[in-house]
Amino acid sequence: MTSDRTAPQRAVTAAVAGVGTSLFGKQPDLHPSQLVWRAVDEALRDAGVAPADLDAVYVGTVFGAPGVAQRALHAMGITSMPIITVENACASGTTALHEAVTAVELGRFHTVLAVGVEKMTDQFAGAIHPESTDIEGRTGLALPSLYAMAATRYQALYGVTDEDLASVAVKNHAHAVHNDRAQYRTPHTVEEVLASRMVADPLTLMQCCPIADGAAAAVVRPHRSGTEEVVVRSSVLRSGGLWDQRCAHVWGYELIRDTATAAFDLAGVGPTDLDVVECHDAFTIGEIVTTEAIGLAPEGQGAGLLRSGHTALGGPQPVNPSGGLLSRGHPLGATGLAQTAEITWQLRGEAGGRQVDGARLGLVETMGGGVAGVDGNACVMVVLERTTGVRA
Amino acid sequence: MTTTPDPRPPVLPLDGTTRLAGTRCAECGLPSLWDPPRCAGCGGRMRRDTFGPDGTVWSSTVVRVPVPGRTPPYALAYVDLDDGPRVLAHVVAGDGVTVRLPPGTRVRLTTSTDDGDVAVQPIEETAS
Ligand SMILES: [Zn+2]
Repeated sequence: MTSDRTAPQRAVTAAVAGVGTSLFGKQPDLHPSQLVWRAVDEALRDAGVAPADLDAVYVGTVFGAPGVAQRALHAMGITSMPIITVENACASGTTALHEAVTAVELGRFHTVLAVGVEKMTDQFAGAIHPESTDIEGRTGLALPSLYAMAATRYQALYGVTDEDLASVAVKNHAHAVHNDRAQYRTPHTVEEVLASRMVADPLTLMQCCPIADGAAAAVVRPHRSGTEEVVVRSSVLRSGGLWDQRCAHVWGYELIRDTATAAFDLAGVGPTDLDVVECHDAFTIGEIVTTEAIGLAPEGQGAGLLRSGHTALGGPQPVNPSGGLLSRGHPLGATGLAQTAEITWQLRGEAGGRQVDGARLGLVETMGGGVAGVDGNACVMVVLERTTGVRA
Repeated sequence: MTTTPDPRPPVLPLDGTTRLAGTRCAECGLPSLWDPPRCAGCGGRMRRDTFGPDGTVWSSTVVRVPVPGRTPPYALAYVDLDDGPRVLAHVVAGDGVTVRLPPGTRVRLTTSTDDGDVAVQPIEETAS
């Protein structure tokens, strides 16, 4: 494989010094603060940072109650500093990370906590309710149906089969067997995935990520030159362009492609350089479209990555070794930081039975949607790399 | 579940056909389902216009899970109205069967559903 590496456009300054997560899944008896405590305590210990060392906190949440972060954080002594809550649909946690990284890179803050949290079982029994102020939400377009529209289009244009779609879930569930924080850890066959009940044609239930309760966190600070640690090669956040009758691509494709291009250019790397990817597989078709849009396969040929095993553990570029959103569950605000934790563990060689051998360069990608007329509320991509040097 | 005002485009009977009310840019011609203060494409002034009745299915699905205030299953399609905007519509099939319409299927606006949604039906019977 040839390398797409070029000289990075700027010096690396931010490092992911520590990560942590709660368990993911349906945890109705846990208070949102308990989810936050578990994730933040682990991230602080991992980073060797005390609450008094923090200069600011960025929080990602979608349905969190007003003050969800301060309610949790004050009780563990994280007070008297800027606490900033952001919302970008499914990309809210990654947006918090992006803001933390940017603040460190620009010197606004030195040591920053990014945390995402969502307690979804209090609010939803099944799919997230469509937003009634939205023209398409009011028309009954639940999120699974938005992705189902992409799947229908891919089936008609590119010959993607029901089995191809199901194979995303099969691959990611096989990965999750080795992830003891995931909601679903049972392997499944293509036949089982296709036999689960239809949600929005052609997507069956097991092709849709489950709602979940969870929190995840990361500590970001300046890179200590000469030490071996996980650094941020680039972080890019974009909102979508107009998605209308002029757009020939399925929803989200152009936003993911353009965000990837910017993130790779900034990092001085290309898609062939990636050793491991955590991407937004909220629905099976999402992973196929995303792997194309970030350049792992030509447009329309993403299903080939599944047929060849390219993106499975043991393949050259594993995608979603954690089991992805399909297996881990998708507590919206927590997801991006859980993806970040997974890539961090992978780059440090701490991922246990799901370790990608020798992983050195990884990508986090999260996609948030729900607004009609744009190609996505937000896409965030973060390129992470393990530096060489003295182990901290 | 409900909000005021209803964000969905008004469905109008006009000259014996069904059309959607929206706006179009006086400068570049870009259509919109909203009534924005300026064109999203070029910043030009928007004028009232109507769209339809015919269009082409861009993609389609059948929703089979409960959504507040609605009874599944129901079929949805993104429809590119001829010289008009891409609009999300409910698919009303004459035979009462709820199916996806293949991309490329020609459809025509029909009176809105009982829930007030934009609705289309296939112009010709298509085997899907
Ligand atoms: Zn214009």
